[in-house]
Amino acid sequence: MIDEKQLSTPEEITWCPGCGAYAVLAALKRAIIQNNLLPRNVVVTYDIGCSANMVNFLNVCGFATLHGRSIPVAVGIKTVNPSLTVIAQGGEGGIVTEGANHLIHAAQRDDDITVILNNNYVFGLTTGQASAATPRGAITRSTPSGNPYEALSALELAAVAGGTFLARTLAVDLKRTTEILSRALEHRGFSLVEIVQPCIIWAKEIKTPTPFWLEKPFTTAMEVIGQSNFFGILYNYK
Amino acid sequence: MQSGAILGKALNRVGFFSLVYPEYPSRIRGGDNHLQVVFSTEPFLAPEEKINLLLAFGKKNLVIHLPELVSNGWAFEAAEYGLEEIARELGNPLTANTAGLGLLWAVLGLDLTVLEKEIQESLGEKEAILALNLQAVRAGYEKGQVIPDKIKLAGTRQKIMSLTGNEAFVRGILAAQCDFAAIYPMTPINSILTDLAKTEVKIFRPEDEIAGIMSALGAAYAGGRAMVATSGGGFSLMVEGLSLAGMAEIPVVIILGQRTGPSTGMATFSSQADLNFAIHAGQGEFPRIVLAPGDLREAYRLAGEAFNLAERYQVPVILLTDKYLAESRLSVLAEDFKKVKIVIDRGKRPRQLAHYRRYQITSDGISPRAFPGETVFITNSYEHDEFGFSTDEAAIREEMMAKRGRKLANLNGGFEIYGPESAQTTLIGWGSTKEIILSILKEFPKMNFVHFWRLWPLPKEAGEILRQARKLIVIEGNFSGQLAGLIESQTGLKSEKILKDNGRPFFREELIKRIQRYD
Repeated sequence: MIDEKQLSTPEEITWCPGCGAYAVLAALKRAIIQNNLLPRNVVVTYDIGCSANMVNFLNVCGFATLHGRSIPVAVGIKTVNPSLTVIAQGGEGGIVTEGANHLIHAAQRDDDITVILNNNYVFGLTTGQASAATPRGAITRSTPSGNPYEALSALELAAVAGGTFLARTLAVDLKRTTEILSRALEHRGFSLVEIVQPCIIWAKEIKTPTPFWLEKPFTTAMEVIGQSNFFGILYNYK
Repeated sequence: MQSGAILGKALNRVGFFSLVYPEYPSRIRGGDNHLQVVFSTEPFLAPEEKINLLLAFGKKNLVIHLPELVSNGWAFEAAEYGLEEIARELGNPLTANTAGLGLLWAVLGLDLTVLEKEIQESLGEKEAILALNLQAVRAGYEKGQVIPDKIKLAGTRQKIMSLTGNEAFVRGILAAQCDFAAIYPMTPINSILTDLAKTEVKIFRPEDEIAGIMSALGAAYAGGRAMVATSGGGFSLMVEGLSLAGMAEIPVVIILGQRTGPSTGMATFSSQADLNFAIHAGQGEFPRIVLAPGDLREAYRLAGEAFNLAERYQVPVILLTDKYLAESRLSVLAEDFKKVKIVIDRGKRPRQLAHYRRYQITSDGISPRAFPGETVFITNSYEHDEFGFSTDEAAIREEMMAKRGRKLANLNGGFEIYGPESAQTTLIGWGSTKEIILSILKEFPKMNFVHFWRLWPLPKEAGEILRQARKLIVIEGNFSGQLAGLIESQTGLKSEKILKDNGRPFFREELIKRIQRYD
C-alpha cells in the first residue's frame, strides 16, 4: 500500500492560493491509493496550462505533452502497454478547444484511457481569455462585451461520439471527486471526468452552476445532453 | 497497377532487371493511367522518354502516347487486337489487361509458361479470378502469335527480384520489429499502411496527422518502436510533434513521401522539394537525422536502421522518399538484397533504477532510457532538469542544450561514391535519383557520382570529398536546388544545378543531354 507522500514530489507547488487544482491533485492521489495502483504503473499525459503543471507535483510517470495533445499521446501509450493505467489530463482549453477532435475520436473508438478535464472556464495561464467552454455572456479579457457563444460541452461531445463513462464533479467536493476518479480509473474503455474548478483569478464573475447530484447514472448516453447542472456519474456503460 | 507488377516480376523470372513506373491522375477510375516498363540485362534503370512497344486501351490513349514511340516501335490498340473481346467473353473487363500482357509476351518472344507462373503466384489466392486470368493471358498470347517478326529476347541466368520502394520499406520496418505505426492515408505512402495492416505491427489510423505523431511518441515513450508515414501536407501537421520529440528525447521514425507541392499540388506526382522542410521543420533547435534511400537495398536497410538510430540517439529520424521511389517497382539481384542485414539496437537502457534520472547529463549526451512500468520518471516538453522537472534556469538550459547537441557528434557514413575515385567533374544526387544517375554514369567515364543517403547531418566528409572535383553538378527534383544550397551552406562549395520540377522523374535521354552541356 502506498501513501500520499510517495505520490508527492519535492517541487514547490506554483498554483495560486485557493486554486481548485490543489483539491484535484489531492483527489487524484487518493483515487490512485484507493485503487491500489503503483506509481510506476500510472501514466499521466498532461496538456499545457495551469492545471497541467501538475506534472511536476504528482509522483507517477508524468509526460508533459503539448497543448491539446494529451489524448493522442495517451492512446499510443495504452496501445503499446495495456497494463498501464493511462490518464490524459487537460483544461477546457486543451480538451474542448485545441484538442476537441482528439476527444471525439477517442470517445468514438472507446479508447481505454481516462480523460481528466479541469474546466476553469477560461484560458488561465495566458491571463483570462475565453475558450470554447466559457459560458455565454461571460465577460473575459478577450470578450469585454460578453462571450457571444454557448459553451461547448466535452461531456456532450463524448456522449454523442460513444464515450462509455461520463462524469462531472466539483473540485471543491474532494470526497465525490475522489470516488468518481476511482471509478473512472477502474472503467474499461473511454472515461471522461469533467472537474469544474472556476479560475479564482480570471473567472471570478462567472457563475458556477448550482449542482444537482445525480444518484444513479442515466440509462442512455443521450440523456447527458443539455444537462449542464447535473453532477456525478452521468453515464456508465459496462 | 497489378498488371504492371506481374509484367515486371515475370521479366525478373526470365533474367531481366525491370523498372515499372506508374503515372496516374488523382482519381480512382479512368483518366490517362499508364505504366512504363523498362527492362534490361543490366542493373540500374531509368524511365525513358521514348518507348519501343505501346499497348493502349482505347483510341484516345493511343493518340496521347503515340508521339512517345520510337520510329521503328510497335503500337497496339487493345480493341483492334481483340483484347477487349477476350475480356467480354470471359465476363470480366479487367482481364483485358492480362490478355494485353499475353500479347506483349508473345511479341517479345518469351516463354508463356513463365508468365503463367507469375500470374499464378500473384493471383493464386483467388481461384476463380486466377482461372479467368490464365484463360485471358493464353488468349492474348495467341493474338500475339499472328504478329510477324517477333522479337527474340534472352535474359541473364541471375535470380532477380523486384519490389516497390514502399514494399522495401515495409520489409525493413518488419525486420526492425516495429511495434506501432500511426498512418493517416496519403499518397504516396498508402501501401505502407495497407501492407502493414496485414502484419503483427499495431496499426493506428489516427483522426489526423497531429494525433498520428503524438500517438507514435506515446508508443515510443511506453517502450515500443514507433513510426508514422505521411506526405508533405501531413508532415506539416506533425511539426509540433517533431519538436516535442527533439525536446523530450523520444525516438520516432517518420516516413515522409514527397509529392509535388506546394499545397495539394499534383497529388499523385513526384518531387524532391521537401528536403529543406525536413531538415528545418520545428520550433527551436534540436538534433534529428534525415535519411533518403535511393534503391531497394537502401530503402530496406535504412528503414530498419532508422529505428536503431532513433533509439540509439533518442531523436526523430526522417526517412525521405518520394512518389517515384515509393510506387515504382525496382529490381535487384536477390542475393545482393539478402546480404543486407538489420541487427536490432535498442539504445542505452538504465543499469539500475534507483535514483533514476531520465535526462542524466552524460559525456555522449545520451541518457539511459527507462519505460513507464519500470520506474517513476518525468518526460517533458518544457525545458527540464536531469529528473525531468520543468525549469527556466539559465545554467540548466545551457547544459541541456549542450547535452542534446552532443548526441550526433559521432555519426559516420551517409554517402556512396561511384565511378573514378577522383574526377574533374562530380555529379551529386540524393534519394530516388540514385539508380537513374547510375544508369547514365557509363556515358560519362571521366565523371564520378556522389550519392547522399543521409542529408542531415550532412556527412562530415562531404566538404573534403567534393573539394577534389573542379566542377560539381547537383541533380535533383525540385525548383531551387535544395541540396546544392545545403552543400554550399555546410561546405562553402558552389555547384551547377540540373533541376526538374514537373512531377516526373528524370528520363534517361533527358539527363544525358543535360549533363553533356557540362562535358
